[in-house]
Amino acid sequence: MFAELTRETGQNTYSMISMLSLAFEGMGSFCSRQKPYSEADAEENEQAAEIERRIAQETKAEQHIHKLLLLGAGESGKSTIFKQIKLLFQTGFDEAELRSYTSVIHANVYQTIKILYDGAKELGQNESDSSKYVVSIENKEIGEKLSAIGSRLDYPYLTKDIAHEIKTLWKDAAIQETYARGNILQVPDCAQYFMENLERLSEADYVPTKEDVLYARVRTTGVVEIQFSPVGESRKSGEVYRLYDVGGQRNERRKWIHLFEGVTAVIFCAAISEYDQMLFEDETKNRMMETKELFDWVLKQACFEKTSFMLFLNKFDIFEKKVQKVPLNVCEWFKDYQPKASGKHEVEHAYEFVKKKFEELYFQSTKPDCVDRVFKIYRTTALDQKLVKKTFKLVDETLRRRNLIEAGLL
Amino acid sequence: MAVCALTGGCVTDYIAVAISGLSLFLLLARAVFPFLVQKAPSTKASGLSLVIIQIIGSINLILSLVMSVNFLKWNQRQPWQSCYIWAGSYLAYLVLLSVWAEGPLGFGLLMSCRIVQAFQLYHVFVKRRLPPVKPFVLLILILLPWIGGAAFIHINKPLNHQCHMRTQWVIPVVCIHAFYIAALIGVTRAVRHIEFRFHEFKDLLQGIIVSSIAVGFWIGAYILNEVHEDILWVQVVSRFLLLVTASVLVLVFFSMSVSQPLLSQISLRKRESTEFVTMGQALGIPGCGLLVQTASVAGVDLHQPLDKLLQDKRFRQSFMDFADSCLAGESVHFFEEVHELGKIPLDDPVRRIYMARHIIENYIVTGAEMEINISHRTRQEILGTLDLAHPDLFNHAVNEMMQLMKMNLLKDYWSSMNFVKFKEENPRQPDSSEPAGWDLSPRLSCVRCTDNPFNHEQLHKCPSGRKCDV
Repeated sequence: MFAELTRETGQNTYSMISMLSLAFEGMGSFCSRQKPYSEADAEENEQAAEIERRIAQETKAEQHIHKLLLLGAGESGKSTIFKQIKLLFQTGFDEAELRSYTSVIHANVYQTIKILYDGAKELGQNESDSSKYVVSIENKEIGEKLSAIGSRLDYPYLTKDIAHEIKTLWKDAAIQETYARGNILQVPDCAQYFMENLERLSEADYVPTKEDVLYARVRTTGVVEIQFSPVGESRKSGEVYRLYDVGGQRNERRKWIHLFEGVTAVIFCAAISEYDQMLFEDETKNRMMETKELFDWVLKQACFEKTSFMLFLNKFDIFEKKVQKVPLNVCEWFKDYQPKASGKHEVEHAYEFVKKKFEELYFQSTKPDCVDRVFKIYRTTALDQKLVKKTFKLVDETLRRRNLIEAGLL
Repeated sequence: MAVCALTGGCVTDYIAVAISGLSLFLLLARAVFPFLVQKAPSTKASGLSLVIIQIIGSINLILSLVMSVNFLKWNQRQPWQSCYIWAGSYLAYLVLLSVWAEGPLGFGLLMSCRIVQAFQLYHVFVKRRLPPVKPFVLLILILLPWIGGAAFIHINKPLNHQCHMRTQWVIPVVCIHAFYIAALIGVTRAVRHIEFRFHEFKDLLQGIIVSSIAVGFWIGAYILNEVHEDILWVQVVSRFLLLVTASVLVLVFFSMSVSQPLLSQISLRKRESTEFVTMGQALGIPGCGLLVQTASVAGVDLHQPLDKLLQDKRFRQSFMDFADSCLAGESVHFFEEVHELGKIPLDDPVRRIYMARHIIENYIVTGAEMEINISHRTRQEILGTLDLAHPDLFNHAVNEMMQLMKMNLLKDYWSSMNFVKFKEENPRQPDSSEPAGWDLSPRLSCVRCTDNPFNHEQLHKCPSGRKCDV
């Protein structure tokens, strides 16, 4: 109903954008605007003809572009994989882009400490043994101040003083206890990492490292895409992929439908460490159950009958540590899990169990006429660059083989 | 005269039957008309089923009246003239349409809809909370006494051989009619001091007046028909009046509710006039929806924080276009609507409530068409609020959306074509620098799909035309 005004301008802008973007990618420079008035018409015609040619070329080229979708529930690691692909196969992050993440990282720090402090207060009121969640008196003042900062629209730059205060509060026993119960609050996974590196993050001329950027947490909204070629820019015959990253929360999923056509492969990210956590957008629903239902829904889409599915069982590093403390049975889907041993063997056993569950789900949800579509499971830790590179190479191989099979050459 | 009064077949009777036939025909035409003319009127499935129930109820009423009261002349009383059979023959709605031959279901439905609407208005505007019960559930609850009465009468079968109710049953029947009207009057009284903007009060009054007149006529004709069974011309005239009134009322009730489907009368939104594009315009908030070209040449300082930047209309429009093009527009639209809400003064709670309710239905409710990306707590806070006109109702949600826009969309915006266009149209001072490097944004040619979802077109189809199961 706001549509009228936005619609017109939106559509005009959109068509103008696509035309001009093609011109850009082809020509690489933008024609100067300061043209003498008399030559304007002739120039414009030439430009228009050039754009038409480019569009025709692009349309032909587009048929060789493979569309990849990164799907998954919220906070499953899609955007991290996206960033990794950018790092690996595109130009990577230059200093300007790294600097642009400073505010994001600082925001993460403020938000994390606010969540922990507010969580401690809440647990102190509701839980039975509330005394261990009561923050010490000296730190209470700091806590209140940081909580107030965290509710502001604009966060201040993270100075050494504030960082010191945050560190003090982080070390408080009550906050550590709250962090141990972090699964019932919405504590981001990067909390520990950022809290431990606070001194570095609060430097005056702080430039985030690649690792910091990968840990930074931002909910994606809308759709983001990149185009890349895994072999490198020089070889023309390499596959060209266009990768789409989306938001995972429930309201973002209604936008997914616009991307479902002509997809070569769906990379479905499932964070296996989230079996004891609740959704950001619905704290009554378990994240693993949501992932299960979402995966089921994606598999049943009619558009994906011929699409390859790559399931990334993500956040293995957190899973490793968690599975030894929190049994898998807390999640309803895994309630028939029997712990076998402890230590390293336990982790492997648990992982195999989860993998089998996903395989079962896949075969349950796949119609008999879709059985020949590719389905592969990969164990990933999106933060680990080497692992992602290796995994992606395997994905690329699989897709290339599939492509050849479909073209009848294999 | 004497003969036709008892056995039926008077001229007036045939005229009455003709009128009732005409009214039934018009009823059906009216029902089918919207579906023929418009491609697909936006009727929810529950609203559609109500409409169908009302059509069947009306047909049942008219036919049972014609058959049971002796309008047509038959040589002997046909078996299928029995009042009970006519009622029982409608399979799906047996209990609902059972024998209460002279109690129109349409009347009950319409009254209940109006009562539900009044109740919801009371809840929203007087108590300033979102209604706790879904309208459809409430409708069923209010309709239950009506259905209960019909079932009770069916069980006890107090009708004599001419399908006339014994006098002692007349009073409870009249009482139930009167009770419903009294309930409607009561709830309407509770909201009479609110200055509604979309004629809701007028609708309620209209409902009360029409139903009171109807019931008055009905009772009058009914009593005449029942009480003076022996005075023949009274019989004829009252029979005629009864059927004609029934036909006319059935048509009036139906057209009052079918021009906007029954359930829509319960929701506030449907009252938006078509010449208004946004709720803000409909409520008369100054400066909404207009792209004001300010005279100042001085451009916007692009280093301000985002919430200040978004106050500038041209920047907001440009940013909104960018967000719409990459399917993230709901954040900016939400911000704009809350901004408009902020323009309504605090001492005008009615308009604030309209706007707040509009925002909640479009952006906050789970499954809303432009649902925004906020946390569970923030959403529950808004939906469970005790004061819809509170100035800080959406503060947390706006905070979260600002963070989302700042950290996510804004960076991509600086390197987008929308920003380039904005810079061209709004030349700034030569010494102010650009916020970010000139580089191709990853969101550029975002989604190669045929329609922008913020154009509210069909969302649940694969662009290839095959329907995806959602």
